[in-house]
Amino acid sequence: MRVVLPKFKSLSKNKDVLKIEAPEYIYIPLIVGSDTDITILVKKEEYVFKGMVLGKTKGHFRIPIHSSVSGIVKDFVEKTYHDGTKVKCIKIENDFEERTQEPVLSRKDMSKLTKKEFISLLQEKGIVGMGGSGFPTYVKYDNDNINTLIVNAVECEPYITADNAIIHQKAQEILDTIDTIMEINNINEAFIAIKKNNQELKDVFDNFLGTFLKIKIILVPDIYPMGWERYLVKYIKHTTYKKLPIEKGIVVNNVSTIYAIYEALKKDKPLIERLITITGDIKNPVNINVKTGTTLEYILTKLQIEKKFIIAGGPMMGVNVPDLVVSPNLNCVIILDNYKETLSKTCLRCGKCVSACPTKLSPVLIKENLDDKEKIKELKANKCIECGLCSYICPAKINLREYVRKAKQIEKE
Amino acid sequence: MNAIKGPFFRSKNSTNKMMIHLLVALTPIILFSFYKYGIKPFYHSKTNFLGLIYPLIFILLSAATTFITETLYEVIVNKKRNEELRYVIYNHYSFFPGLFLALILPINTPLLILIMGGIFAILIGKMAFGGFGNNIFNPALIGYIFISTCYASVLSSSYLSAYEIDTLSSATPLSNAVEALNYTTLVKPYGSLFDFFIGNIPGSIGEVSSLLILVAFGYLAFNKVIKWRITITYLFTFFIMTTLISSLANLGMWYPFYHLFSGGLLFGSVFMATDPVTSPTTPIGQTLYGFFLGILTIIARFLTPYPEGVMTSILTMNMFVFILDGIGSKGRFNFFRAFIFFVIAWGLILELSIHIGSGLRTSPSDATDNKYNIISKETIADQTTYIATYEGYQSKLKAKIVIEANKVTTYEILEQNDSFYHMTSDVNYIDKLLKSNDLANVDTVSGATYTSNALKKLLLLTKEDYQKDNGKIIENNDNILDSPEIKNYELISEQIENNNYVYHVSSKGFSSNIVLKIVISANQIIGYEVLEQNDSYFNVIIANNYLDTLAINQNDIETVDVISGATYTSNALKNIFKGILGYHKEKYE
Repeated sequence: MRVVLPKFKSLSKNKDVLKIEAPEYIYIPLIVGSDTDITILVKKEEYVFKGMVLGKTKGHFRIPIHSSVSGIVKDFVEKTYHDGTKVKCIKIENDFEERTQEPVLSRKDMSKLTKKEFISLLQEKGIVGMGGSGFPTYVKYDNDNINTLIVNAVECEPYITADNAIIHQKAQEILDTIDTIMEINNINEAFIAIKKNNQELKDVFDNFLGTFLKIKIILVPDIYPMGWERYLVKYIKHTTYKKLPIEKGIVVNNVSTIYAIYEALKKDKPLIERLITITGDIKNPVNINVKTGTTLEYILTKLQIEKKFIIAGGPMMGVNVPDLVVSPNLNCVIILDNYKETLSKTCLRCGKCVSACPTKLSPVLIKENLDDKEKIKELKANKCIECGLCSYICPAKINLREYVRKAKQIEKE
Repeated sequence: MNAIKGPFFRSKNSTNKMMIHLLVALTPIILFSFYKYGIKPFYHSKTNFLGLIYPLIFILLSAATTFITETLYEVIVNKKRNEELRYVIYNHYSFFPGLFLALILPINTPLLILIMGGIFAILIGKMAFGGFGNNIFNPALIGYIFISTCYASVLSSSYLSAYEIDTLSSATPLSNAVEALNYTTLVKPYGSLFDFFIGNIPGSIGEVSSLLILVAFGYLAFNKVIKWRITITYLFTFFIMTTLISSLANLGMWYPFYHLFSGGLLFGSVFMATDPVTSPTTPIGQTLYGFFLGILTIIARFLTPYPEGVMTSILTMNMFVFILDGIGSKGRFNFFRAFIFFVIAWGLILELSIHIGSGLRTSPSDATDNKYNIISKETIADQTTYIATYEGYQSKLKAKIVIEANKVTTYEILEQNDSFYHMTSDVNYIDKLLKSNDLANVDTVSGATYTSNALKKLLLLTKEDYQKDNGKIIENNDNILDSPEIKNYELISEQIENNNYVYHVSSKGFSSNIVLKIVISANQIIGYEVLEQNDSYFNVIIANNYLDTLAINQNDIETVDVISGATYTSNALKNIFKGILGYHKEKYE
């Protein structure tokens, strides 16, 4: 079953990107994706430059976390991450000098970089997936058999227009970067996936596309969750993979990530800023450019928005949070006047959740067999991508995703 | 602050909306039944105002029964009050089983039996399993099965509307399916296949109009209310199999359509098989469910003595829903795990079609019935002894029939191994055959159609054979008819008006005394009028035009069958007719 969601995108679409002044205090979250195992490289009262490495993940990937301002490390405090969990943050007092350690250089020809330089640059600048996963981008390119690059500009969740805004602003730069990436990695073809009903984005790209013969714009159907990697790969390349698309020589990048790569290659700039959509039941929904570590409270005060019911992320996969700090993989904040949880009714066994599930799970059966670990294993609950479609489609308003999540936990134990 | 779990976006669809769609889809079907069983007979002056609105009363009463039963159960047993009770009333849609039950029953089902069916449907079909959402079997079908097993004969004689009584003779088109296989017998009596399609045939209240059911299916599938895969695969399987059967038996294309449009197939496949609670949730499960429903229905219609089969097939498959869902949920990840079941289903579809189709090919017409076989025939003086066999349901029935002085004196079954034979002996079917004047038109025993048909054919064909040899017509066995005379009527008054004799006679009916005015002229009853009665089942008598039947057959009252479901009342009427005629003849002859 193909599910088309209502959009709510026109609220913040086609509006100029707002840039708000940096706050007095910045709280850099010590987390990459969901990895909180970080080596901290700074001390209290130490002066940090803008773009300086504050910590690195301990694991295999060694992703650095950068300061988005220059100033003095004041404290280590706990703040809410956009998945609702508490995370340790470095509190920096902003001196509003924007001082960097070394003078900012601008690379004239990005494509002169070797593949090795390219990869280490991505790693050094802390480029991670900005669509939501926060997966380190350099890992995707650390492979010699890449043949296809898919740029994900689908943005299939309602409300979010961050990718849309960056395309309107930086179409030329994005195409340049794609071309560079292709040259460096020896990739033959690239696709930019755009939703069918976002024809105007295609027009934006078409203005510049003339010189980039290897880049194609692909219009994908307006269904949810079309932005899911597997769907895109299946739709564009007619192929499937086991764990990662690189198995088939495919790299999928979010369009915002591509722009972050541009800034890293061209300006040597680490990932310390991003575009987010602030929308919902508010007077002036906007897309704003903010530094990582900015608190939502500060943004809302600046925009003169009353703090009500806050959703970090899209309405489908997002999380209700009391407050949060901006991290590289947050793309949207929705503020609703008041939200009441829908009361769930008796399951009718209509099977809509089964037909809707993009990973071919049977949520109703998982819910019915929640006390049987063997059954849950057979039903492969761990395949769930938590897109929330089962909960969305349920006529009895049962929050099936939560049952499947529970099943995933039971399976892990 | 406790975070609320997303998604924060829910579809506009709701259980309530789905149920409203379902009601909308059912409305034309209910209105059609109102037209067919209420307006039409009323228009032709076959019924009174009560008869006009009777179909609506019938349906509403059934819906009310299940609704009240479930609500009372929640109050008394589950001790639900206030808010909780309100939730149950608004969200458990307990009137639906009753609605469906009414629509799959014949119009003349006695209301008391209807109510009992409704109560049974809720208590056993739904609440015993834990209520809405937990039941394994379709509650309406549980109610139907209850009624059809406990009151089988009531159902089989209740199909005709007051209007149809005059024009049609048999119960439903399907009940003929066993006996003959030609267009003239199966379709002609009801008009054409077009009459089948629009619903101009006898049948259950909601099942007859194929057209309206298909429209409802379109509406429900478009709005994604029902599991359309089940309906499609069910009907597809059924149609493929009947087409194969008919082409193997050289019957022509009318035959699959005749089967498709008769009985409860369309209604069952659209409304009963797709009941969300009792059908598979996975697409593969639903597809297999449809295949096996089709196969089971074919088996029931062609290989068992019950010509209907849809409702029992659905109940049977209800039991396998969780297995099909297991196959379906794994088959989604790897289709090959479900593949074997598709192979089995298609194997069965082909095998059964060929088996049944080639079996039907040899099916004879009445004239040369090669199921009938005379093993021996001995004539000593005027006594001829036949040993003959006839193909029954599962076995050959072997009988000894002795005809002496042009009368059948012995009819004895020597060998048989039919599972349903006892049903014929329970109703003394052989006696009935021996007493009958019109052997060919004696009704078969419902539930043992094949066996009773075999018994009938044995006697009929043996008599024919005897006539061929002797050229004489066998008279009825009057000696068997003679039974001790008991005065079971009461003569209230008698007078002579315009050379006619007018009697007021009464007899004890089921729940009241029935008083009839009978007019006799030249030893014949020429008129009657019901003066007084208060019997609960008198409407069945009227619906069946029983009084007319009695008047027409006044010289052979004993051969007129009682109406099942109104046995007392019909016996009382028989007694009046027979008694007063005897009285009159004795007095004036």
